[in-house]
Amino acid sequence: MKNSIKVQRAIHDMTQADLAKLIGVSRQSINAIEKNKYVPSTVLSLKIARLFKKPVEDIFFLEDED
Amino acid sequence: MQTNYLLPNKYKTIGWILFIVGIVSGLFLMFNEYETDALTINVLSIYHDGILSSKEDGFFRIIENSILDELIVIAIIVGGLTVGFTKEKVEDEFIFKLRKDSLVWALIFNYAVLIFATVFVYDFVFFDVLVFNMFTPLVFFVFRFNFLKYKSQSHEE
Repeated sequence: MKNSIKVQRAIHDMTQADLAKLIGVSRQSINAIEKNKYVPSTVLSLKIARLFKKPVEDIFFLEDED
Repeated sequence: MQTNYLLPNKYKTIGWILFIVGIVSGLFLMFNEYETDALTINVLSIYHDGILSSKEDGFFRIIENSILDELIVIAIIVGGLTVGFTKEKVEDEFIFKLRKDSLVWALIFNYAVLIFATVFVYDFVFFDVLVFNMFTPLVFFVFRFNFLKYKSQSHEE
């Protein structure tokens, strides 16, 4: 699974730490998700999408091998 | 992330102190061939079978023993468990996954090392392997968990 969190962060001018604080997770988590090393839970994905006021599908998308 | 077995973050420091003091004094005792009379008191032994004495042998005997090594063992185990199972400052699902993965890694790595030692280490040196093996699962776990945590912290943007 891929995601556009980094792009969204750039649009909203946020650092990883800002985003992590706003949704209440560690900065490591945001870093790992952005690098596609960690697939977040549904709850966390929905929280991120809600923060950026976008549907989840605009931020997280499946890859061919998924 | 709701978990019911993690201690509050404030215990982490005391865990580290116990763990490190335990390991350092444990190594020190090991290099002294476990010879010490410090803190010798009467203790209850569930089953005693000494090398020399015979009148003390049997179930539920009160024997004299230096409890220094016992205290060190308890310090390392309690310290290690505390370090591994206290909450991080920000505890979330990713940290939880790192902890779980580290546990699995530590268990497999520990037994791989033990198999290697079983095949290639003999006689009295194997006794040392057994002593180390009381603590290595915890040591590997704590080391791996903190390594992964540190690694995923680097490279912002």
